[in-house]
Amino acid sequence: MVLSSIIKLLKFSLMAGLTTLLAVLTTSCFGSEPDCCEADIEKVTLHVDDPADFFFQPTDSMQVVFSTDTIITFAVRNHVDVTSLAPEFKLSPGASVSPESGSTHDFSAGPVIYTVTSQDGKWQRHYRISVVPTAIMVADTLRFDFEHYELDPASQRYYIWHNVLPDGTLGNDWSTANAGYRISMSSAQPEEYPTTPLAAGFDGAGVCLRTCDTGPFGKMANKRLAAGNMFLGTFDIRIAMSDHLHATRFGIPFTNKPESFTGYYTYEPGPTVQDFYGNAIAGRVDSADVYAVFYRNHDANGNEVVLYGDNVLSSDLIVAVAELEYVAPTSQWTAWDVKFKYREEVDEQLLANRGYSLAIVFSSSSAGGDFIGAIGSRLCVDKVRLICSHEE
Amino acid sequence: MINIKHIVLLACMTVAAMSLHATVMDSLRVDARLGYTVGGTIPTHMGKEIRGINSFNPGMNFSVAIEATLPLKNHWAFHSGVRYELGSMDVDSRVKNYDIEVVRGEESLNGIFVGNVRIKTTQRRITLPIQAQYEFSNEFKLRGGLFMGWLTSRKFWGWAYDGYLREGTPIGAKIDMGREPGDRGDFDFDSNMRHMQWGIDVGADWQFHRRWGMFAELTYGLSGIFKSDFHSVQTLRPMYGTLGILYRIK
Repeated sequence: MVLSSIIKLLKFSLMAGLTTLLAVLTTSCFGSEPDCCEADIEKVTLHVDDPADFFFQPTDSMQVVFSTDTIITFAVRNHVDVTSLAPEFKLSPGASVSPESGSTHDFSAGPVIYTVTSQDGKWQRHYRISVVPTAIMVADTLRFDFEHYELDPASQRYYIWHNVLPDGTLGNDWSTANAGYRISMSSAQPEEYPTTPLAAGFDGAGVCLRTCDTGPFGKMANKRLAAGNMFLGTFDIRIAMSDHLHATRFGIPFTNKPESFTGYYTYEPGPTVQDFYGNAIAGRVDSADVYAVFYRNHDANGNEVVLYGDNVLSSDLIVAVAELEYVAPTSQWTAWDVKFKYREEVDEQLLANRGYSLAIVFSSSSAGGDFIGAIGSRLCVDKVRLICSHEE
Repeated sequence: MINIKHIVLLACMTVAAMSLHATVMDSLRVDARLGYTVGGTIPTHMGKEIRGINSFNPGMNFSVAIEATLPLKNHWAFHSGVRYELGSMDVDSRVKNYDIEVVRGEESLNGIFVGNVRIKTTQRRITLPIQAQYEFSNEFKLRGGLFMGWLTSRKFWGWAYDGYLREGTPIGAKIDMGREPGDRGDFDFDSNMRHMQWGIDVGADWQFHRRWGMFAELTYGLSGIFKSDFHSVQTLRPMYGTLGILYRIK
């Protein structure tokens, strides 16, 4: 009796086993291609009848949009009519945009907001596109005081800075690699990032750049440290991991001729310089970067150019450099004042057409791009000035 | 887990009760088995996130076992034993909108990945099968039932490469992942794997000689290979297929 019950149970388990296995094997096939869930404007093009009269440079008519950007600004000549323009978009696959790509809008009253919806309908991003008639500013001195900073609005994890534009509004010309640090150190608090505000700087707030350990991810990737940096330009998070030297895009269009570069700093090198593999380099003291580079932002073929981590001091397009050659360690606020050394004449026409760019670069470890430096090296800067001349 | 323990206990009691039965002991058949195993893990369903397999390498693995069969009546028998199995797998697949999380210590990076994912696993398992056997003849037998497995060693690692991650959500920052170490997203989930596995076990024996025979065995885990609180990759289940020879000892 017991035996036949056991047999029944066994018979049942055999059948159940075979049936389940069959079911598993038959469902193990590929489903249909999933809908895309991305909702990006990847590229914006602005077609106008007379581009030479409308834009400063022919390449200004098209902008590639970073995945982290939702504010897109076209700086155009001051006299042009922006009341009837029709930007065209390249969207991420399957996404749709409202108002439509190519529809005509009035940009004279401020930005036009476009909403991009993913193919699967689940995700949306809002983009603010501005076309701003831009007067060529003739300024004697540009001031960078680092008073305007906030937590990155999207992540709330790290600080970003705004510069004060000549018309008094806030710009986004300063960038840092803080977004890249977040990839390796997701647990870091805003104050633990390489670039942080310094509440008590030389005059009001300053900025503090610190060489930081990149933790277990950094070690795994042989990218053991992140130098604190700050520069005029943009940071391309997309290639921060795969091609970090090109993630720092140094320079913004600049319409004045810089003569000298001044400011205040403190620099305290960290205790031990380490090499690429994390081994201590005995006897070596870390060094910082404080320099400004003025360069032509188009190559001989008319292609737009920015300088990167691997050519910011070596490109053929460099016109002038102002470099604090030795950033002497000091815990006291110390002034620097370096002249731009010109390698060629400045073309006034090109200058007026935004054909030159300026990069200011600060880094707490000069060899940080090669992941060499001392963890804890600390460079603070404040009250940075660019003194310019404008030839008549 | 409580359920698994109950099943094991029940099985042990059944075996113990039967082994006490003298006549039963006389009819017990014992064999030694050596097999070539293709083992690894497969997703519970090949979701539409997985767009294709670039390469699959099951690895060269083997299993050794001592198994016993207890004939009951009407061609039916009870089958159990102890197996030691090595399983490994190296699979490279193309994915789209694949939920991924890379964890190192306290740090993690997660999001939606589009690109390629390489996964390597190796597992060493001691397995206890509990099966019903139907004997069509002295030569040919079919088995089915459950197995319990205990991993003595476990590794699960790999990398996401040649693609991009949207950090956090599909509208998060887009981060390219390259091909080389350091440029790609490496992961290592050894410590997130369960020690215990259980599932379905089916097999067939062909006794072509008084002592010698051949067998085929397929086990499919009903438990995932990862602990229940682990969500970095989709549920994967252990699956082993074995072909081998058996030698009748008793």
